[in-house]
Amino acid sequence: MKDLPQIVYVVDDDDAVRDSLRLLLKSANIACEVHGAAQEFLSGYDPVQPGCLVLDVRMPGMSGLEMQQELNLRGATIPVIFITGHGDIPMAVEAMQHGAFDFLQKPFRDQELLDRVQRALIRDTENRARLRHTDRIRERLATLSPREREVLDLVTQGKANKMVAGDLGVSQRTVEIHRAHVMQKMEAGSLAELVRMMMAVAPHR
Amino acid sequence: MRDMGGPTSDVLALLDATFDAVVIMDDRGRISAFNRSAEEMFGYRAADALGRNVSMLMTSADRMAHDDHLRRYLGGGEPHILGKGRDVRVRHRDGSEFSVFLSVGRIPNSNPPQFVGYLHDNTLRRKALATLERERQLNRLYLDLAQVMLVATNRAGAVQLVNQRALRVLRVDAAQIIDSSWVDGCVAPEDRGVARNSFRALLMSGSDEPQSCEYHVRASDGEDRFITWRGVALRDANNVATGVMLSGEDITDQRRAETEAHRALERMNNVSRLATMGEMAAGISHELNQPLAAIANYAQACARLLRMPSADMPEISGALEQISGQALRAGEIIRRIRSLVRNEDVRRESQDINDLIREVHTLLASDARVHDGRLELDLAPVLPRVTVDGVQIQQVLMNLVHNAFEAQGTDAARSELARIGNNGAAFEVRIATRPTDAGDVEVSVSDLGPGLAGEVEQKIFEPFFTTKQTGTGLGLAISRSIIKAHDARLGYRANQPHGACFYFVLPAHTEMPR
Repeated sequence: MKDLPQIVYVVDDDDAVRDSLRLLLKSANIACEVHGAAQEFLSGYDPVQPGCLVLDVRMPGMSGLEMQQELNLRGATIPVIFITGHGDIPMAVEAMQHGAFDFLQKPFRDQELLDRVQRALIRDTENRARLRHTDRIRERLATLSPREREVLDLVTQGKANKMVAGDLGVSQRTVEIHRAHVMQKMEAGSLAELVRMMMAVAPHR
Repeated sequence: MRDMGGPTSDVLALLDATFDAVVIMDDRGRISAFNRSAEEMFGYRAADALGRNVSMLMTSADRMAHDDHLRRYLGGGEPHILGKGRDVRVRHRDGSEFSVFLSVGRIPNSNPPQFVGYLHDNTLRRKALATLERERQLNRLYLDLAQVMLVATNRAGAVQLVNQRALRVLRVDAAQIIDSSWVDGCVAPEDRGVARNSFRALLMSGSDEPQSCEYHVRASDGEDRFITWRGVALRDANNVATGVMLSGEDITDQRRAETEAHRALERMNNVSRLATMGEMAAGISHELNQPLAAIANYAQACARLLRMPSADMPEISGALEQISGQALRAGEIIRRIRSLVRNEDVRRESQDINDLIREVHTLLASDARVHDGRLELDLAPVLPRVTVDGVQIQQVLMNLVHNAFEAQGTDAARSELARIGNNGAAFEVRIATRPTDAGDVEVSVSDLGPGLAGEVEQKIFEPFFTTKQTGTGLGLAISRSIIKAHDARLGYRANQPHGACFYFVLPAHTEMPR
């Protein structure tokens, strides 16, 4: 999974713009895939595929903004760089509010685009790594027994074993055994590491 | 008429032929001759009148006076009544009294003296005078009622007659201009040359055809009014021009209104053109940025590819071709924008309507993009040429296409489309051309929106009528006037299966015979 090569997707309805972007990315040794319409891209898109998206704002049929919203609905995390024919501030604001990675106005210098593409690809890698990390934490959490989960929650709130034992109405020794199982199942070396893990999967993220 | 020692039969025949009543009497007042007109005037037959006293023809008041006059004259007194005419009351046989103009003369060398009386029917004369007066008043009334200025001058150009309307325009009394020079007194100084020339031309022309000219008059308060004149020469019995008669219409306000209306129309046209351009500016800049972006990308990609150890020559040469192609595309867009905003005079040329449509298609396509729609062309492959102002026809097309997209994009249109089961259909506008049966060219712009409701259809071409919140209501009105100026009509019909269709039929171009 980690080894899948990154692909830059280009979606623009203008043949010349699309083809020139393909060539530009090729000249920078960046693998890319081009599409002339939003639906065409969406129908073949696999969210597992790492990369980023260069998306024209205005297109007949589904516009770039609508496509971004569709991706959000599908839970896709692919970074989106919008390109537009003219500086449409309200449109840019709306795109950024919906989580766009960046916004570029045509025509642009090659380095401007390539820099943004590189940064977007790095962001995608980070996103995916973070996702893999939290996924692993969630997998480990799933192996805990209900009692072990209760102990974990109280311990990461900063309570000592004695207090946890009082709260749960069990002996301190029993808490110590549960706690050892938690540290082992969660593959945590210390209480601090356990707290960091719980923060990574906290629902507000 | 019976002879009572009176006139000879020759004289009697003469008397009978005169229109006036003639009565001859002797020194005692006895009637010795009574002509035919007298018979008609008084109702007596000559036979009944002869020998009787003339007083039978008089009113009771005059009888005494008459006898007095006669007696005084015969007694060597003042000849009171002879040689002078006067009005007297006389009496008809039926007792009715009426006025006559009486003149009396003594017949020379008659002894005893005889007197002849000429009686002229005053009623007729008065009637004629009254009629004349009435006609004079009526004429005055005609003159004064006239909405035109009426001025008559003599041969020297001095005002002889002027009506109320003219006086009001000039803000003077008749007395101030009667007998003074028309040109020097009433015409604005800078127009006096024109006025004098037209005056001279009228006097010299042998024709009774009215001649027209236009010049300013200056009112007494210094205001100039612009008048359009028609003039004829007045002629005497020998056909010699004795003066001129001018009728003038004050067109100052009308001219001002025309100028104002013309300016307003121009402003409106410009505003509409600018508004359309303003709405399209976003689309145009997008449209222009596409080839520019492609050019930049290709060029930069080429530079990178060339720096690589093994340059991909076919890819590079393909990119270079694309660069020149896209540069031409950008130039073409600019050329079209320029031809669109060019504010030139109307220029009719023989054109291929399909070319005009394709030319404007680039700009309209960007409009379609703004509205998330498609603009389809359905052009007949073979069409006669048309004689049109290309820019104007393109403006109309832009307006119609723009309207069509807007009509499909409203919330009302969406819900109406949902109601008729056409939810989510792509906005589509179609420009179509086809030859008509008569060999002319029909151009139509149709959409798949909800179409026009009946009451909207009635009013859609009225200026300032709009269904849009921010519409001016001028687009269709201007479009219709442009099409009308091309001897065609901008019409509306429902599109099938639904939607609106605006169309016009342009006459096929015919070569002018030389």
